[in-house]
Amino acid sequence: MPLSREAIVEGLRRIVEPGDVVTDEQILVESSVDNFRKLQNIFNVHTMPVPAAVVMARSTEKVVELLRFADEHGVNVIPRTGATATEGGLESAVADSVIIDGSAMNEIVSIDAYNMQATCQCGVPLQVLEDRVRELGLTTGHSPQSKPVAHMGGLVATRSIGQFSTLYGGIEDMVVGLEAVFPGGQVTRIKNVPRRAAGPDIRHVVIGNEGALCFITEVTVKLFPYFPENNTFLGWTLKDMATGFAVLRDVMVNGYKPSVARVYDPGDAGLHFSHFAAEDDCVLLFMAEGAAGIAKATAEGIQAIVDKHPECTQVPSEYIETWFNDLCWDASKITAEDERIRQTRNVNRTTEISADWSSINDIYQAARARIIAEIPDITMMGGHSSHSYINGTNMYFNYFFNVVDVGPEEETSKYYLPIIGIICEETLKRGGSIVHHHGMGKARAPWVKDEYGSSYYVLETLKHAFDPNGIMNKGTIIPL
Amino acid sequence: MRFTVVMDGTSAGAADGTPAGAGEGTADRTADGPSGGIHRRAAALGAFLRDGLKSDSAGASRGAIDAQLAGDTLVFYSDERAKDRLVALAPTRDVRLVRIEARRPERMAALLSARAEGGQTDLFLFAGGPAGTELATRLACRSGGQALSEVLSAETAPDRLSCRRSIYSGHLTGRFELSARPWCVAVDPSWADAGGSETVAHTIVSAIDETGGGGPDPFEDRERMEAPSSEDLAGSSFVVVAGSGAGDRQGVRRIAAAAREMGATFGVTRPVAMNAWAPMDRLIGVSGARTAPALCIVAGASGAPAFFWGIERASLIVAVNTDEHAPIVGEADLVLLDDAVAVLEELAAIVAAEREKR
Amino acid sequence: MRILAYFKVTPDYEALRESEWSAAAGRVPSSGGGEGTSRGPSADGGAGPGRGEHAGPADGVDTRYVRRILDCFDESALEIALRLSDALVGRGRAAGLGALSIGAPGAEPHLKTLLALGFERAARVHTEAALDFAPAATAALIAAYAGRIDRSDLLVLGARSSPGGGGTVPFRVAEQLGWPCLTQVTEVEPLADGRLRVTLMGDDGLQRLTARTPCVLAVGNAVVSHLRVPTLTDRLAVRDRQPDVLEPADLGVDLADVLRREGPSLAALEGIDRHREGVLIAGDTPRAKAQALFDARLKSLLEEL
Repeated sequence: MPLSREAIVEGLRRIVEPGDVVTDEQILVESSVDNFRKLQNIFNVHTMPVPAAVVMARSTEKVVELLRFADEHGVNVIPRTGATATEGGLESAVADSVIIDGSAMNEIVSIDAYNMQATCQCGVPLQVLEDRVRELGLTTGHSPQSKPVAHMGGLVATRSIGQFSTLYGGIEDMVVGLEAVFPGGQVTRIKNVPRRAAGPDIRHVVIGNEGALCFITEVTVKLFPYFPENNTFLGWTLKDMATGFAVLRDVMVNGYKPSVARVYDPGDAGLHFSHFAAEDDCVLLFMAEGAAGIAKATAEGIQAIVDKHPECTQVPSEYIETWFNDLCWDASKITAEDERIRQTRNVNRTTEISADWSSINDIYQAARARIIAEIPDITMMGGHSSHSYINGTNMYFNYFFNVVDVGPEEETSKYYLPIIGIICEETLKRGGSIVHHHGMGKARAPWVKDEYGSSYYVLETLKHAFDPNGIMNKGTIIPL
Repeated sequence: MRFTVVMDGTSAGAADGTPAGAGEGTADRTADGPSGGIHRRAAALGAFLRDGLKSDSAGASRGAIDAQLAGDTLVFYSDERAKDRLVALAPTRDVRLVRIEARRPERMAALLSARAEGGQTDLFLFAGGPAGTELATRLACRSGGQALSEVLSAETAPDRLSCRRSIYSGHLTGRFELSARPWCVAVDPSWADAGGSETVAHTIVSAIDETGGGGPDPFEDRERMEAPSSEDLAGSSFVVVAGSGAGDRQGVRRIAAAAREMGATFGVTRPVAMNAWAPMDRLIGVSGARTAPALCIVAGASGAPAFFWGIERASLIVAVNTDEHAPIVGEADLVLLDDAVAVLEELAAIVAAEREKR
Repeated sequence: MRILAYFKVTPDYEALRESEWSAAAGRVPSSGGGEGTSRGPSADGGAGPGRGEHAGPADGVDTRYVRRILDCFDESALEIALRLSDALVGRGRAAGLGALSIGAPGAEPHLKTLLALGFERAARVHTEAALDFAPAATAALIAAYAGRIDRSDLLVLGARSSPGGGGTVPFRVAEQLGWPCLTQVTEVEPLADGRLRVTLMGDDGLQRLTARTPCVLAVGNAVVSHLRVPTLTDRLAVRDRQPDVLEPADLGVDLADVLRREGPSLAALEGIDRHREGVLIAGDTPRAKAQALFDARLKSLLEEL
């Protein structure tokens, strides 16, 4: 017997302070979507089911009580901290969901510069943690574009990755231990050790669960020394992506770990580099960082590798350094982009996938060609590779289209989902993964069985085991 | 060196027409109101003459109303009833009156050019703003002279005028040299806040009627809109500015309400105006109003140079921002690291409570 | 109506670090004023950035390595021109759009974009001279193009540019063409009889009036601030069209002579010291901080005001 909205709110009010249960209509409506359907907030047209409440959780104990309440009464819960999700993970897929917001749990618990670890609650903004450790000459090494706005809980829940991952790794390489609460109220604390072989690595049940299994309340991440003075930049223009991927592969296979290694196709390069790249140029760029000897050897090694490719024309490193210094998305850039969308109805979207070296260029070419042929009103269709490994890389499709003849709420059905569909199809065909780092969310959940194949059994069993009543973020990862 | 101050008073007086739908409350905003345009423009010219125009010969530190520099004011007017009031505002003793039709910048430029032909005037001074810039520029084009707008200061030398103005959207100041005369300088509007006007006794040296000389008004069906200009910002002594840190339109409205509660004039930064979170006439900065308040509270703005140019002459700047690395933190006298909307609302409540007590 | 829109492509000044501005303050601007390294097309005359641009010392502000963008008021002007054209065409009246830029090869992609958006004419005046602080020369070129080549009857452009910001170019062009000029324009709408209803922010507030062509409209703080975006199909349709490239001589302008007589000249760059003490007012809550501020300074100050 599902609870009514009023009964849900009543129940929540008995658990937390009345002020921590938010039922303001505008806030609820805006909380029904995340960046996947951001046009709904930009144009103030809302079609998703409206949550019953947003409830601020201020402690692990409160999270326990809230989850128990939800589990007992079958209330859909959406865990949230920084709210920067891009794939619908924070959307309310069913009526009367409750968003449990951990952004008030924003205490940095400890910074241990000797053991190179920092512990913080789920609501600590990454920028705040990063600024604090910088004061000690350290860095988290984690720098997703959402850094100014994202919080630690969400960053771990989505298996996020940052701009310097080729050196520091993704969040999964940075998490040491954590604390999470499961629907039945079980508080699980995974301790901080450098490595162990005491059975399977259960951190990976939590990292990337996207709120479909548990609520992350605390994380401990590694710290690294910070040597910005040794940052070295390198850049080239070249005419084709195949060469670009080949160079990236060379660099990775030879063991170099630049913090940034990217190749942009001409369309995407045109957005950032038109002051030195011609209309048909790809751009290849690297940043080497770390202790002086490492940064130098990395830069020299990369230089030697690219020197063997005469198709690559080097550009002064100042171009790359200047671009790099202006990368971050602060609040005013976001609101300016919202206004640009309102005025022009031209929307910028991204979809990122991963694959091995043999497949990546084919996936890029095939998906791009199909999108241009099959989707109307495209104004730019391009992308770049930005996270490389010894055995492959990602492809970050970056594309723009005008929303024509339909309301903003139909952008997903007319353009965005069909494009995602093409990208997923071409990727799955060639054995790649349909999502590199944004998370499955709800947007790509329809492809989950294709993505997992027979291993879907493991995912499905985890879901049934940890969330038997199906209250954790319905529709995320596993579709409704 | 001889100079002429040019006052365009042709929109002053009843002939101009009051703003559409205006009632008594808009008296301050008409061209002839005490805080209105012509007063501020005249004040700017007077202050610039006194403190902004210098001779670079050694030891000379006083302004142009000085032995070395002699000048007069040329007043263009249309409405006889405004004439006396305009003369009273002239910053020099000698005043020349010229009557013409209203809003004829090309006609005024032609008349000034004829005057410049004789070589009697080295420097023409105009009040800054769109109209003054237009006149200065058109005159320079017609007379073979050189023009510069929004001038902050000027130094005369025998063969050139060295002027300073803001460039690169408030990032730097540029020093420019004008060589060919006449020098046509539009004074930065911020001079209107420099204060300390001296009362000058006037002598009307000449009065001519040039009506009927030029062509018709190139523009028709003029209509003054109800929306006021940002005049209230330029002359205000207490300004509250909201930046994009207000979060959204609602946040901006709340800061505006708090500002009103405290008796402050409300302004916004460019991102806020461009997002339509507030009307464009609230814009402060290089492309908006230049303020010089005794107190300026900057709520949720990071302090970009183009914006800061609009408040840099404030006596006391208080910054409220959640980001301790925002540039404004190093540019303010006092800093509160907290949410802009919350702090402003609390402050307004405290000010209101204090007012109640008294 | 034959509409000409003039635009400027500038470095993204906001992407420059504060340290570069401080460094620039110590330098002398190059002759002609403004940025040191002049920017022309590459040696082969192609539209791409010239390798020669990378070399050379920078005097003035070093903008060699930042991206180029449409100057913001010019972007408003371009979109306003498009909307005016749409409105005229919607009323069954002819409205051909032309676009002009001067100097920067970075303008080529924008000119191509404008062709894709339906502009009939797109032209670039090639010059290596730095014109940021040379409004008379800039105006001479615009007026010559509009008057002699394009024969336009309406010129739309931004009211002020980012580097110079003097706002004099529109009036200088108007003087050369003998046209009236309106500045700080925020909206333009066509009237049935071919005249234009123009909204602008004057010295004394928001005004609306009717203008006849030919005239110059200089766009200020308009709400319309973003240029629409052409589709790939739109671009494909004009793929074989290239913007015209003209020399000042083609316009009948002796640029060297105009620059010689140009004034005023930019003699020096000065930094702006914005630094203040930044004393922190502490408190545990917004209320506590507000109270501390009030007690410490505001109470007495507000009493005075």
